[in-house]
Amino acid sequence: MRRFLSPFGGRESLLAAGCLASGLVFAYLSPYFATADNLFTVARNSNELLLIGLGMTLLLGVGGIDVSVGVAMGLAAIAVGRLLLAGAPPIVAALAGPIVGLALGFVTASVVVLGRIPAIVATLGLFGVYRAAIFLALGGSWLSGLPIGLTNILTANVLGAPLSLFVVAIAYLAVFVAMRFTPFGAHLLASGHSEAKARLFGVPVRRTLIAAYVVSGGLCGVAATFYVATYRNVEMTIGGSLALEAIAAVVLGGTAVTGGRLSLLGTILGVALLRLLQNGLLLVGVPSLWQTVVTGLLLLLVLGIETLGGSQLLGRVTSAFATRPARGAAR
Amino acid sequence: MQSKRRIVWVAAALLALIPSLALAQDTKKKVAFVPQIVGIPYFDAMEAGGKKAAATLGVEFIYQGPVDTNPVDQMQIVQNLINQGVDAVSVSVLDASSIAPVVEAAKAKNVKLFTSDSDAPNSGRALYVAQATDEGLGFTIVDEMVKRVGDDAKIGIVSGEATASNLNAWIGYMQARAKDKYPKLKLLAPQFAGGTAQRAAQIATDLMTANPDLKGLIGVASTTCPGVAQAIETAGKIGKVIGAGYCSPNTARAYLKSGALGYSVLWDPSDLGYLTVWAGKQLIDGKAIPEKVTPEGMSHPVTFDAKTGILLLGDPAVFTAANVDNYKF
Repeated sequence: MRRFLSPFGGRESLLAAGCLASGLVFAYLSPYFATADNLFTVARNSNELLLIGLGMTLLLGVGGIDVSVGVAMGLAAIAVGRLLLAGAPPIVAALAGPIVGLALGFVTASVVVLGRIPAIVATLGLFGVYRAAIFLALGGSWLSGLPIGLTNILTANVLGAPLSLFVVAIAYLAVFVAMRFTPFGAHLLASGHSEAKARLFGVPVRRTLIAAYVVSGGLCGVAATFYVATYRNVEMTIGGSLALEAIAAVVLGGTAVTGGRLSLLGTILGVALLRLLQNGLLLVGVPSLWQTVVTGLLLLLVLGIETLGGSQLLGRVTSAFATRPARGAAR
Repeated sequence: MQSKRRIVWVAAALLALIPSLALAQDTKKKVAFVPQIVGIPYFDAMEAGGKKAAATLGVEFIYQGPVDTNPVDQMQIVQNLINQGVDAVSVSVLDASSIAPVVEAAKAKNVKLFTSDSDAPNSGRALYVAQATDEGLGFTIVDEMVKRVGDDAKIGIVSGEATASNLNAWIGYMQARAKDKYPKLKLLAPQFAGGTAQRAAQIATDLMTANPDLKGLIGVASTTCPGVAQAIETAGKIGKVIGAGYCSPNTARAYLKSGALGYSVLWDPSDLGYLTVWAGKQLIDGKAIPEKVTPEGMSHPVTFDAKTGILLLGDPAVFTAANVDNYKF
């Protein structure tokens, strides 16, 4: 139950080792990889996936899923972009993202929880609807070259790091606190493990599910603000592949697709590994089509090693060095 | 009594209308164009060009299309237009295999059916009004790049889906042009970003990191264009790296003005719409189109290949900071 908090469980240490190993290989092969500029770029490019992945972690943990998160982000991004173009103060535009995101989260929650439609089917339907809504809202002309005001806010220097980093950190910290120190965490994992049993024990399953979808929607909205600030355009295909990337990163991080188990640290490391691979493979000159092959094979390798039991060994080794014993490893 | 009298009046009015309707039909030939979808700036621009041609050439222009890119809906609209008795109908074909029945229907009613913007070869269409050739698009983007960075330079290519045949054809012609005309020019192997500007921006950034001596970046898919431009802006390399791509003036405008994009290559859809209506009129009048001709009201000549039935608009248009405001699509 508390495995998601252990600083170095089997999967997390494996992923950390994977990041480190691929980082060393890339640094050896390309003089441009291990530079501050490049690593900063990788971090900046990870923001949206980190936020959407955080929401997806909760959703998978509670036994749900949402394949419409990328296009939901797209809709929120249109709101942010339109406000910026209309000359609204950047701070207002920035807040529009999360507000639209929360509203869309409510929509998803109503369809899935109140409508009792299986999450994957319901959100696939919403994916189609949102994609069409993006098309209608943009009318074939993309928002591009948006004013730079919002970018300046999110890249503003706070204690030596961009503000966006703090926003992501605060989001993770808030979810961590909610998971560990409030009944929400126990409710979420219990519901994810078995809805029927959780209900017998008096867990407010529906309320927990709704909360997870709404939080995920809000995080998509924050990601939308980040997207507009970073890329300063909203294109028709926005967010098309983000949901799958998020699911890949989250599952890679050790969260169970079947619910009942999640790892926040795992998600962070999963996102880091995906983005490092995308960046590094290009820098060392791997042809474009092979990059996806290599990425796919490495993902299979990570998941495979654990099945073969290698990570337990690795987990024990690293937990011996960890300041706090990995409680999850023994269970 | 009252109602009977009203009926007589209405009948009389209708009778009076018939000859005027018939007259209207006699005086102006009808040319229709069916786009792939209505309500997007690209086809809006084609409509505007078609209207202009109709006014200049003295024909009636009908613009009708599906609200979704649905080939079945599109063919129904074409069928309806044929039944309504237009004289010529042009289609930007969504599905080349579904057009055969309407080609037959058009022939039966002596309606000239031709394609424009998107073709259905071997379908029996009268001719195809083509915007630009793949060769022209591929060559022009390289030529324009060399004008700006010289021929001894390293250029990155960011494409969309690796499966898109038109994008791959353009890249093929870029590479052929570099090989034949600019042997010192180094085109890096194309990177495929899929459909999103986000991934295109990431790739463009990484290409600049991996190649500090990079002089230019070409965004091949329209979605990669803004991504490439944004990456150049964010990296603070405006002026050091020239961005380019195949994207519409609306998409490129802000980046052309900031200097992140040096130019964008595409065609002018309003010219294409104009040429479409002109071609329709030639077909209705039964005039043979010469090999090279400057249609009335157009500023440059177009070419016609009678063997393939392709009427070519000409060289692609190059949009820059100086002329981009003249285009609204």
